[in-house]
Amino acid sequence: MASKIKPSFETTAWRWMRYSGILLIPLAWFHVYLQDVIVGVHAINIDYVAVRLADAGWVTYNFFLLLFAFAHGMYGLRQVMFDYVHKERTRRIFSILLLIVWLVISTIGAIALAMGARPELVQ
Amino acid sequence: MAAPSTPLKNTVKGYATYMGREGHYAFLLHRLTGLGVLLFLIIHILDTSTVYFYPSLYEHAIELYRATPFMLGEIGLLFAVIYHGVNGLRIAVTDMWMPKRWAIAKQRVSVRVALVVATILWAPGALVMFYNMLLHNFHIDLLAYLPFGK
Ligand code: HEM
Ligand code: HEM
Repeated sequence: MASKIKPSFETTAWRWMRYSGILLIPLAWFHVYLQDVIVGVHAINIDYVAVRLADAGWVTYNFFLLLFAFAHGMYGLRQVMFDYVHKERTRRIFSILLLIVWLVISTIGAIALAMGARPELVQ
Repeated sequence: MAAPSTPLKNTVKGYATYMGREGHYAFLLHRLTGLGVLLFLIIHILDTSTVYFYPSLYEHAIELYRATPFMLGEIGLLFAVIYHGVNGLRIAVTDMWMPKRWAIAKQRVSVRVALVVATILWAPGALVMFYNMLLHNFHIDLLAYLPFGK
């Protein structure tokens, strides 16, 4: 019976937070441990990034990280906002604002990943 | 007459006065770490994108991350990502497969387990980062002080 009811957007989103969160454990933890602990910020520069972004495997990895971490985080921010904002109209305005911020920054990040670094332009 | 209450005021007052048990502290820490990592992530996506959009700027951005206060912040960021993940896993698993575990007595245990697990996963990375910070920013090599070191 319950399976015939079309789940609402909020139910789907609730599940999405849980599934994306579980996926983020390997994705985000490995990324931070690799970049910040094993490699370290003193060894990171544009040449290092250029080599990594020339590798389709790492580009794909980063793309999933961008998609899942940022969507999860921005949806989480929307939930936090709902705890403080109760007027339906204000909620809708903030939701649209968050959606726009999410789309714009995701697009910028995705373009950089797809195009790769350009160390030859450093002056 | 008391000033009218607003959601924000209620929250701030509630946070300050509600002697919440373990579950409440876990909720606060989960929210704080989630928002902290999100703030970092927004800046991080934008500064990483300079490798394509404005390559000359990237080195300056990374230079910032190498400063001592930032490196201390990164040690905190590592804890935030790990704690938020462990506690998020606790939430997800309890919600989806064992909702009975939301009972307060059971939570009292699971909240502590999450904190201990997160600390164990964080400590080795934190030590390495601290070592690197002393080495690069203060030219102190902690390994040289070990009896079996260099
Ligand atoms: C590492 C793996 C992660 C897991 C397992 C995880 C899990 C979760 C779960 C289950 C929730 C929902 C909490 C609830 O409904 O009570 C949540 C909320 C949230 N997450 Fe994550 N998450 C992870 C990573 C991240 C990352 C990388 C960010 C930042 C970009 C983030 C930001 C947030 C925010 C802002 C919330 C909303 C907090 C709230 O409602 O109080 N999470 N997370
Ligand atoms: C201070 C710790 C961190 C360092 C040093 C670091 C380093 C880097 C570097 C060097 C890149 C460039 C691409 C590559 O080399 O693969 C990158 C990209 C990326 N990182 Fe991190 N990272 C850190 C923390 C995080 C965290 C906590 C998250 C997510 C929760 C994250 C998410 C991403 C994403 C999404 C990209 C792709 C950005 C884009 O689209 O341009 N990073 N990171």
